[in-house]
Amino acid sequence: MDHKSMIRQFLQRLLAQKGDQRPFGDSDSLLLSGRLQSVDAVELVVFLEEQWGIDFAEIGFDETQIDTVDAVDVLVQNAGVRK
Amino acid sequence: MSAPAPALAGYASEPRPSPRLRLIPAIETYPRVVAFAQTPAGKVAIVGAFGLGYGCFLPQPADWLLVALSIALITSFPKSRWKLVAFGTLAVTVVQPAAPYLLAAAMLGLLLFWCARQWPQSAFGRRPVASLLIGFSLLMLSCCLIPRQSASFLPAWIAVGMLSKYIWFIGYALMDRTKSPRDGLALQAGSLQPFWGSTTTPFPKGAAYLRRIEARDAEQLAITQLKGIKLLAWALALMLFQRAWMFGFHTYLHIPYAAQALAMSVRRTPYPWYVCWVSQVLSFFEFLLQLSIFGHQFIAGCRVAGFKALRNTCRPLSSTTIIDFFNRFYFYFKELLVEFFFYPTFFRYFKRHRRLRVVAATFAAVTFGNMFFHFTRDYWMVPQYGLLNALGNFQVYAFYCVVLGTALSISQLRRRAPRTGFVRGRLLPATWVVLFYCLLDVFGSTARNYPLAEHFRFLGHLFGINV
Repeated sequence: MDHKSMIRQFLQRLLAQKGDQRPFGDSDSLLLSGRLQSVDAVELVVFLEEQWGIDFAEIGFDETQIDTVDAVDVLVQNAGVRK
Repeated sequence: MSAPAPALAGYASEPRPSPRLRLIPAIETYPRVVAFAQTPAGKVAIVGAFGLGYGCFLPQPADWLLVALSIALITSFPKSRWKLVAFGTLAVTVVQPAAPYLLAAAMLGLLLFWCARQWPQSAFGRRPVASLLIGFSLLMLSCCLIPRQSASFLPAWIAVGMLSKYIWFIGYALMDRTKSPRDGLALQAGSLQPFWGSTTTPFPKGAAYLRRIEARDAEQLAITQLKGIKLLAWALALMLFQRAWMFGFHTYLHIPYAAQALAMSVRRTPYPWYVCWVSQVLSFFEFLLQLSIFGHQFIAGCRVAGFKALRNTCRPLSSTTIIDFFNRFYFYFKELLVEFFFYPTFFRYFKRHRRLRVVAATFAAVTFGNMFFHFTRDYWMVPQYGLLNALGNFQVYAFYCVVLGTALSISQLRRRAPRTGFVRGRLLPATWVVLFYCLLDVFGSTARNYPLAEHFRFLGHLFGINV
């Protein structure tokens, strides 16, 4: 499974836990739009740390970095480049 | 394959438009209304409706006039929105009685923002928010050293008070220093106590956030403004409901306020336990109502100015977990705690211990951050009672913060699969959540004039335990 599919699957699961079954596009805002909350952002951050070793203490955290599937994918790709 | 994006992504935590009967119709989903809102006549109607509605919340005609004028200008010249927001904010600040102090506090904020950007590798530039909060605490402490009889006593504490109004706005500006798009100083100024109104808690966050949620075209602006008008209508409806509520329960039925019930308990002549229960439950709902009214008012102003901000209070009574309620009842305060205290702790400490990490970050935000916020907001207690007494009076709220931090930590770690069925899945969990917050409010909504033991005595009395 590629990065994007894994990210999408994880976000789908996160939304489903909140009873949100609505579809979302790769460029659709999830955090700034309020579909996901900061508590969910924490889950996503842990997922990114565990899967790809992204260290937000090192790169700095901004909610826009994880607001959409596309943004998270860019973050993961950049993490790969850094390694 | 990605699903098609909605016309206007946003407000997703709010209910989606549905064909069910609504008290206030979802006018932003009517194509004709949206088209009309983009015409000159529609813009006049929006500004007129906003001006009339907002006037009910602003006692000073000068404030109302300036806010309405700012909205009229922003609606007419949306491309100059940021300059006009800065102008509106400056104009509303200048007409305040304490304008020189307020302007000085805002200028200090802008100076700090400039310094953090200019010297990013300096000690201040690397940790500007921590430096700001530590600096403010030291300023308060140093003001404690000024004798009461001194000529500088009053001006010093007024300065602390004015700075306390801006401290979190300045904090957001400092956080935004590296975020894109980077705003100039003048544009940052518009987000420091913006003209649409705010408490000490920034509504909604800082300039970088506003940049991200601003309406990009005429249609988005029309939809956002219509949502703003709707929210303002909600705020007005709730205000009328609040007046009827207060008259009905307190004036007509003579049910005491919770503060009165507590005072009677302190005097050892308590009301019967069932009267205290009614007072406590009413007090909790009155707090929710008050929070909804001013939150809706500010966010309505923000939306009509063209920013797609989320509501501050959004169906809190539907929450089935303690963390969900905390998220829904005062969204921008929760965001403040998360951004200033939770994330910095979470990203820096206990990375190998997942549960401990969540608990530490939650306590940093909900317990320490919450206490720090309220102690600095209520700074006036320090010159009035002295530092030690002010800290002593804070014991009840400190206890409240510890219990809330513990409950929110457990709520985050528990994450059970949702139960099915209306009663087991929604009604019972929502009732428990409301009951928890209602009882916790015995320690939360307080003038801090009684010791912790008296609050426990009152809590015990609610359950028939009289010590």
